Amino acid sequence: MSAQPQKELVTGETWYNPGDEIPNVGTKLFALRNQCTECNVCEVACSLVHSPDGEINPQLSRIKIDHAPEKPSKVNPDGIGFVAEICHHCGNPPPCAEVCPTDAFYYDPKTQVAVIDQDKCIQCMECVPGCPFDVVFVAPSGELLKCDLCGGDPVCVKACSTRPELLNVGKKYNRMPVLFYEEQSDFNRLSREEPVARDEVGMMQAMLERGEISSGA
Amino acid sequence: MESNLLRVDLTTGEIKTEIIGHEIFERWVGGSGINNWIMWEHFLTHDVNCDPRSPDNIFVFGVGPLAGSGAGSGVKGRITFKSPCYDMFGDSAGGGKFPYMIRFTGYEYIAITGRAPKPVYLHICNDEVALLDASHLWGKDTKETHEILQRDLGDYPSKTHTLSIGQAGENQVGIAGVVSDALRIHARCGGGAVLGSKNLKAIAVQGNGGIKIKRPEGIMKWSDDFRKSLDSNEAVYGFKRRGTLGAVEMYQHIGSHFWRNNQGNKFRGEEITSDNWVKRFHKYSEVCSSDCFIACDAKYKIYGTESEAAEKYIGETFRRPEYLTTGSAAGALDVRDWAEVAHWGKITNDYGIDNQDLSCSISFLMELKEHNLITDDDVANLFGHSQKLEWGNMDDIEALVESIVYQSNPFGKIFGDGPYKGALRYSEMMGQNFMKYAMYGKGGASFTEEMRPFPTWMNNMAVASRGADHLKGLGLIEKFQRRDLSEIYFGGPEAADLSIPDYKGASTAIIENQVALLNSYGVCMFHWMLDPAGYMPESYYGEAYRSITGVEHDTETLMRDGERICNLEKAFNSRVGMRREHDTVCERWMWEPCPEGMYPGKVAADMFEPVLDEYYQWRGWDVRSGLQTRAKLEELDLGKVADVLEEDGALARS
Repeated sequence: MSAQPQKELVTGETWYNPGDEIPNVGTKLFALRNQCTECNVCEVACSLVHSPDGEINPQLSRIKIDHAPEKPSKVNPDGIGFVAEICHHCGNPPPCAEVCPTDAFYYDPKTQVAVIDQDKCIQCMECVPGCPFDVVFVAPSGELLKCDLCGGDPVCVKACSTRPELLNVGKKYNRMPVLFYEEQSDFNRLSREEPVARDEVGMMQAMLERGEISSGA
Repeated sequence: MESNLLRVDLTTGEIKTEIIGHEIFERWVGGSGINNWIMWEHFLTHDVNCDPRSPDNIFVFGVGPLAGSGAGSGVKGRITFKSPCYDMFGDSAGGGKFPYMIRFTGYEYIAITGRAPKPVYLHICNDEVALLDASHLWGKDTKETHEILQRDLGDYPSKTHTLSIGQAGENQVGIAGVVSDALRIHARCGGGAVLGSKNLKAIAVQGNGGIKIKRPEGIMKWSDDFRKSLDSNEAVYGFKRRGTLGAVEMYQHIGSHFWRNNQGNKFRGEEITSDNWVKRFHKYSEVCSSDCFIACDAKYKIYGTESEAAEKYIGETFRRPEYLTTGSAAGALDVRDWAEVAHWGKITNDYGIDNQDLSCSISFLMELKEHNLITDDDVANLFGHSQKLEWGNMDDIEALVESIVYQSNPFGKIFGDGPYKGALRYSEMMGQNFMKYAMYGKGGASFTEEMRPFPTWMNNMAVASRGADHLKGLGLIEKFQRRDLSEIYFGGPEAADLSIPDYKGASTAIIENQVALLNSYGVCMFHWMLDPAGYMPESYYGEAYRSITGVEHDTETLMRDGERICNLEKAFNSRVGMRREHDTVCERWMWEPCPEGMYPGKVAADMFEPVLDEYYQWRGWDVRSGLQTRAKLEELDLGKVADVLEEDGALARS
């Protein structure tokens, strides 16, 4: 089965000439390490929004969930868990675009993210090793997949809800997602904060308190 | 919506593909509905009264259209077959990554028949399908099998995910399950024994194809709303952290546990009634399926300092015990140490065996010994050597589990098909009637929770198509006393009132239809339970179903589809000879008063018969025989099913 062509979700396109000053991506995607529980909802959602004809296929996702190498983290002293492999949106021009022999990268003027023009791309795969984080992926059809931040409203962030049992003390979030779409400085501050467990409410306890059930005979 | 069915005849090695067309989805919804239909068709050309362990039996795997589709409501695969332990309709749901991955191979349904001459496993890699030698896997537990297959088959074109049987399935133990990715078990009804009898050790899948969605924007909006409604529910936070284990505390409070073969309703022991150990534990991995907003399940690792027994199991990692693992170990068997409860979950999963049937069988024998109804010599006769039968002694319990898994002595052989058949056989062997101590409903093992005070639950246990079962008709209107839902369905609060029999049988009928729909969607029950708008999947999940499949059925039609699915399961059981007298529960539930908790003195017999009558009436079945009527079946467009039943003498006389 070959993969379907992918659609890029950009709000316009801008081409830069050599020597042009390219603004850096301001608001980026971030992931907390070892917090992810591999529910794969982000992969499913990413592949769906990028498909031109409504196909879900995690192999076509621009975010990948993988086992994290063992390294202790704040929430997980064991250091075993999962990590979301995401595009880091390196300072512009990013290494993937720099190594491209056909200059197939253009920029989304809204987010400044570099996006691949599939018509210009010759699938030489130079950008795959060119990426220092191994996050330019290859679809089964040979097409190159790179995060385009969904034009400024990343669907993976919206779909990430696996840790609402943890609270972020900064109170910016009433739940603790694993993926964030934030300014670098905001994320630095957020990630320094210790997540705390919410007061635990058992399923039935909560129902009791809401009066949905009663414990009387 | 269209899907592919893979037919594998193990006797001849023939593999072929069939298309399941849109019209089949319009009629049978998907998942368990389509599985039932495949099995029903199979037994039109094969003897329905065949030995379930014979090549004539069929093993169907299927996964519904909502699974892995971005709906975020979990992924549950379903296996369907004639049950070797209960000799009637058998099916079982299971999570894990296997049912998620199989959708990307292009095959959503697999039907396996015949018997392979030697052990084999089935490898599905996109559209390439092969039966391969499994002699190197035979004798291995499910964890080793999964690891070997993952290593051998590699990561291309995708990670390998497996469905496998352990030693219990190989030895055709009636209560053996089938395990997905070595972590999640399709436990009920003995699917493992069916695969074992067919010499099929495992199914491994790898796929990188896609799932087509009819209206992507529809499902994206639906799942967005769904997630928001879950996130706004306080109960979900606790559930995400503790999963079903959160019920331990509540059930201790209201007295809803199943202690020592249901002689009591509360756990004993300080350690086990606190959840300290679970609180210390950090969830590092979601181990159920993918595409789930809740992710309630988790892994544990034992460091040795958690409890007294923990040092026996240092370094052990497995799924954190969920409620029924705890209910069967800490409840039925009175194990009082968390590390041992966790270990119980691990060994039953590795051997691939249902811990509900297993614990009810073991606790039955322990109770006989406790009351001195059998002597040490009787026990020695069962095991071939002296054997202690001490409540809560994990080393003893492990020895008993091994006897059943390896069928190594008379005990293993007698109780290999669960507590009902086990008690019958043992009573016969001893020339005494021990049935009073066997915990079952409709021949199936009890699930380890107290249910006597709840008439709908007792009714569920008696009528469920696969024997004593709470997952075919979750009686939550009554247990959680949801007057609001009672008002919606019946126009009054009576169904939520535990003290009267009114609308209890009706609740069973309605919820059975809903649950049949959920199982056919291929999603998890918990999203349904936790969603504030819950218990009405026909209206709520309906939009997701329509967006994905393009089957434009409104609420009423979907409920009718659910009813059709339930009626097909019933028809299968009627064909194998099940009548009203089989729709019953064990003597202890029926006559022995509930000993403690909030509802002391309650017995099932209080309301059992009127509720059962009402259930048949709401179903439109014959109250006296419990059989289906032609009028009802024709109303559901099942005229041909009525013809088959009539031929078998299994249709109610009009």
